Amino acid sequence: MMFGWTGNLLRVNLTDKTIKKEALCPKDAELYLGARGLATKIIMDEVDPKVDPLSEENKLIFMTGPLTGTFASSGGRYEVVAKAPLTGTIGASNSGGHFGPELKYAGYDGIIFEGRAEKPLYLWIEDDKAELRDASHLWGKNVFETTDMVLEETAEDARVACIGPGGEKKVLFAGVINDKNRAAGRSGLGAVMGSKNLKAVAVKGSKSIKVADPEGFMEACTDARTKLKEHPVTGGGLPTYGTQILINILNQSGALPTRNWRDGGIFEEAEGISGETLTEKYLVRNKGCFGCNIGCGRITRIPEGKFESFGEGPEYEAGWALGACCGVGDLEAVSKANFICNELGIDPITTGTTIACAMEMYEKGILTEEEVGRAIPFGDAEGLVELTRMIGHREGFGDMLAEGSYRMASKYGCPELSMSVKKQEMPAYDGRGVQGMGLEYATSNRGGCHVRGYLTSPEILGIPEKLDPLVTEGKAGWLKTFQDLTAVVDSAGICLFTTFAIGLPEISSMLRTATGINATDEEILKAGERIWNLERMFNIKAGFTAADDTLPPRLLKEPLQSGPAKGKVVELEKMLPEYYEVRGWGVDGVPTAEKLEELSIE
Amino acid sequence: MKVKFFATIREHTRSREIDVTEQGCGSVGDLLQYLCNLYGRGLCSLLLEDGKLGSQIIVLVNGRNVVHLRELDTPLERDDEVSIFPVVAGG
Repeated sequence: MMFGWTGNLLRVNLTDKTIKKEALCPKDAELYLGARGLATKIIMDEVDPKVDPLSEENKLIFMTGPLTGTFASSGGRYEVVAKAPLTGTIGASNSGGHFGPELKYAGYDGIIFEGRAEKPLYLWIEDDKAELRDASHLWGKNVFETTDMVLEETAEDARVACIGPGGEKKVLFAGVINDKNRAAGRSGLGAVMGSKNLKAVAVKGSKSIKVADPEGFMEACTDARTKLKEHPVTGGGLPTYGTQILINILNQSGALPTRNWRDGGIFEEAEGISGETLTEKYLVRNKGCFGCNIGCGRITRIPEGKFESFGEGPEYEAGWALGACCGVGDLEAVSKANFICNELGIDPITTGTTIACAMEMYEKGILTEEEVGRAIPFGDAEGLVELTRMIGHREGFGDMLAEGSYRMASKYGCPELSMSVKKQEMPAYDGRGVQGMGLEYATSNRGGCHVRGYLTSPEILGIPEKLDPLVTEGKAGWLKTFQDLTAVVDSAGICLFTTFAIGLPEISSMLRTATGINATDEEILKAGERIWNLERMFNIKAGFTAADDTLPPRLLKEPLQSGPAKGKVVELEKMLPEYYEVRGWGVDGVPTAEKLEELSIE
Repeated sequence: MKVKFFATIREHTRSREIDVTEQGCGSVGDLLQYLCNLYGRGLCSLLLEDGKLGSQIIVLVNGRNVVHLRELDTPLERDDEVSIFPVVAGG
């Protein structure tokens, strides 16, 4: 019997419509914890890293962690993992809401989807019963419509994860959306789901999750929850203002990338799209995911006008991508575009940054009004909303934008205008003004991404220590620790935001008492390092090399023109060799045989 | 100099920014003491703790966190811009 984990996986072959229940390998569970780690291990074992991500040979895994659905603070997460179509790297994206816990209550740690259905299907799981159902009538429906229709056909208190038109049409940055507004947003995993003709997964469970040491677990969880409640960020700033609170501090720090990163890190209209403005003018109420006492989610209403709308968000990265990065200072337009992303099931970060890239190409005369169907100068709020819609449906020029900025800019001979790493667009922190984030983008295992080793926390926000954002010394070591710890957090099934208030000791304590594993804090952090190295090995086998651990030329060669980081570029050449060294990798960026042996990676 | 306030700091100041032309605000420490006198005990308890820079705030001078400058001894000039935030996070 397993504790924390249910010990069961569901394997669903969409080609021959078979569903099998399998036992989770206890050794793998201990080595890779769950969610991101465990799903990556299965992908590594079962999928050729060189496979076409949208072919039926790719597999799509939904996986929870041992803390998902338990009393652990903010334990509502699950991870979606596959080879990613946007990057060609391992793709892993996690989401909150209530879907992950419900899957555990039905008795499963995860679901492995393989093959490809001939016609659209959805999976309905109710405890031990699991069946594939026809989804032809749902094809073409948006996320909200799909969710409502599936709930009507299954159970009103079931939980649904699905794709919108974006995933169906294989927009390369389509996400998997659960509970209508929570997204496994990055890497294009919704396109993988669409390529398999899998429209939705609905689940309802009535079982409980057993923990190894109930008394010790309650004590560990209560300790963590108390710390979250008492911390000024998780108990104050995040619930009050949401993640958009960051707009102003990044802007004042000169690190808010503006107009496709062309105009430096200061957006003159930042206040208009800030968390303060969102709270003052449009916030209906805040919202938490399963078991969360932070509640950073925003329910927002634009009450009138041409962008009249209602929905969730925008979060900071989305608000920046659709706002400052496009030069749009109108929060009503930004919110509307964000709601459209949720409805159509596309990643707002890559949506906004790809539109920003197109806007720069338009201003340079590379793209014409005829090709796009409209003029798209920076700051065009209506154009932003319209292009967002067109991307989700691959309509008109939206079909080109749906490929992401790198493929679009490359087609027009200007790949340097794509602000991406490994073909995935970087989010909302200018590495020239936050040096550690520059290294983070260059080394992230899923391409341009902020949530693999969030050095903005120590460099700008001063948590847990205050690091100078303009210096490079020591950043490699910090980044390794952050990347390894984040892999633990993601794999445990809790929210990364808990780490503003709690750290390795609290998380390890919850993991030990939930699962009964006899591991020290250091051994648990080692599991994070193991996960990181396994992801790296997948990418290396997929054909990536040290040459791909780089940044767009703009960040390496064009110094910032104003603000506190004036004159700075990302000093990657100083940080990257040190990073390889602290990771125990060769100068070629490949984990050494000794390192792999140390981590028990075969 | 221009002093900008953000997030919950605005609940104390009731304004987004002010111009400080006062003589005697030659350092961050001087400025925070001036703001204490201007806005009262609620804000003051955040800005200064036992005469040191408050642990729950972030003070930027021209975009640089004063903890990476000279903290309360960081000198201020007339055309400087100071930004004051509570500890925030997100992402």
